[in-house]
Amino acid sequence: MTRAGASLLEVEDLSVRFDTDDGTVHAVDHLSLALGESEVLGVVGESGCGKSVSFMSLLRLLPETATVEGTARFGGVDLLRAPGSRLREIRGRQIAFVFQEPMTSLNPAFKVGNQIAEVLRRHLGMSRADARSRSIELLRLVRIPSPERRVDEYPHQLSGGMRQRVMIAMALACDPKILIADEPTTALDVTIQAGILDLMRDIRERLGTAIVLITHNLGVVADVADRVVVMYAGRKVEEAPVHELFARPQHPYTNGLLGAVPRAGAGRLREIPGRVPSLAELPSGCAFAPRCPRADEVTRSNVPELRSIGSQHLVACFHPGPDVEAVA
Amino acid sequence: MSYVDTSAAVTINPRARRRRLLRRRFLRRPLAIIGLVVALAFVLAAILAPWIAPYSAGATDFNALLAHSSGKHLLGTDELGRDVLSRIIWGARASIEAGVLATMLAMAVAVPIGIVAGYYRGWADAVIARLTDVLLAFPFLIVAVGLAAILGPSLTNATIALGIGAAPALIRVARGEALALREEDYVRAAVANGASDARILARHVLPNMLSTLIVQATVAIPTAIIGEAVLSFLGLGVQPPTPSWGVMLSDAQSYLSQAPRLAVYPGIAIFLCSLSFNLLGDGLRDILDPRTTR
Repeated sequence: MTRAGASLLEVEDLSVRFDTDDGTVHAVDHLSLALGESEVLGVVGESGCGKSVSFMSLLRLLPETATVEGTARFGGVDLLRAPGSRLREIRGRQIAFVFQEPMTSLNPAFKVGNQIAEVLRRHLGMSRADARSRSIELLRLVRIPSPERRVDEYPHQLSGGMRQRVMIAMALACDPKILIADEPTTALDVTIQAGILDLMRDIRERLGTAIVLITHNLGVVADVADRVVVMYAGRKVEEAPVHELFARPQHPYTNGLLGAVPRAGAGRLREIPGRVPSLAELPSGCAFAPRCPRADEVTRSNVPELRSIGSQHLVACFHPGPDVEAVA
Repeated sequence: MSYVDTSAAVTINPRARRRRLLRRRFLRRPLAIIGLVVALAFVLAAILAPWIAPYSAGATDFNALLAHSSGKHLLGTDELGRDVLSRIIWGARASIEAGVLATMLAMAVAVPIGIVAGYYRGWADAVIARLTDVLLAFPFLIVAVGLAAILGPSLTNATIALGIGAAPALIRVARGEALALREEDYVRAAVANGASDARILARHVLPNMLSTLIVQATVAIPTAIIGEAVLSFLGLGVQPPTPSWGVMLSDAQSYLSQAPRLAVYPGIAIFLCSLSFNLLGDGLRDILDPRTTR
């Protein structure tokens, strides 16, 4: 589960800019990360911190207004430079994406079974009958009850949780190496959320799929991930194995996020003061400085570099360390 | 998980249920039903003309020139003694043929163009959208008359002219739908699953705009029917002696003072036929609109 051995996916110096009427927005700024075989990587941050954008940019799913730079090596291919036909073979076949909105991510005009079968027939060249029986198997894999019947139903007949399971089944259809799940549980009820996360764990165990779990909820990550990347304003501010991160959070932003996770007996939740800065007008120093209790002159005028503190623990902060209350 | 079973029991057959719902909505709209019945009557009359028309279209009865209605000639005869009712029934062929074929042609031209423009955006879209705007600035009939004049007078050419004339409005509709559908999450999901552009257009964009297109088609048909009558009236469509409502109107001009009924009957036919398709189209639009609750 660690970074030992060759990485499945290696992202280096990924930058994503959007040219808008209000100027250039730096959605992702020199992001580097690696994903190992069968690893579950949690990517955490507030809305608008660039976590979804960075992974959508890897499969080139962003609109044309986006400028993407850097490299993303996956199985000898640079995803950001691969020709379109090569990329289409990778999308859904080797790297699959599950989106946030299960209610609208299925085509209302076709039965769910046909939509799963479409992926199978396209990527694996299965016959109609094979694709159908495999679709039923996949629905069973994602624990949809009576899959033989559900396979012939339309999306509007399924609940949100079921639709998300169908989306996951579709993503798993071709046994991909990487499953990127973008806030897969955000739109769902808490009880359904637990079921989906359980399913993610199960998928990793049984199929060995590497999973990128994009979320704003550290609680979700604590449950499932091996390693966590914390992003803020388009940058990676901290990265550590999940236990290390929860035991010794270094960046004040991580500390803030941890303080905002509800826990029994922990008293009042703390909030992070202020708001996420507009990506079009980032402060000159550390992007978190305006909200940071540890900010001083140095942080306000210099951008902190990522540096290693301890094994596999990276942080971009001039004043790292756990908050006093967080440790207590 | 018992909740699953209860919900499944309610939704045994989704397609049948939706059909039932649409049928019930349709039956609540008397105007739409009238439209459907009358439109079907015209279509049947056109198809069955050889069997139901009392006389053949060209048969003349020199004992009854410009005759009034009678048991022998229900709607009277024209200046050559031809039975008006029979000619109206035969004339329905030209009208229905032109209406349906022109609409199909317009769809075949407009839908691919509109979808490609709306889905891909970019300079092609800009060119197509502006060209459509330019064409839409000309009244439909002016475009159709101009094209028919260039192509030469015949029913086929009139149909082509009407089809091309109707295309710009349909391009605009298809483009608008494609613009909206390309932003749908399931289109994004299909891209992420490695679907090719052609597959996305065929499987995800086109099927989801079908109900809009069906409604547009039922609205385009009456316009084309009137257009056919106009072109034939002007001598740019069906050529005499082949019967057509427009031709009948044109012939009736010379006898307007003696026998105004020669103009009135085909006029009523044109009016009823286009009204029926319009009522049907309105009804379909209402029941297929997802915001409709009744």
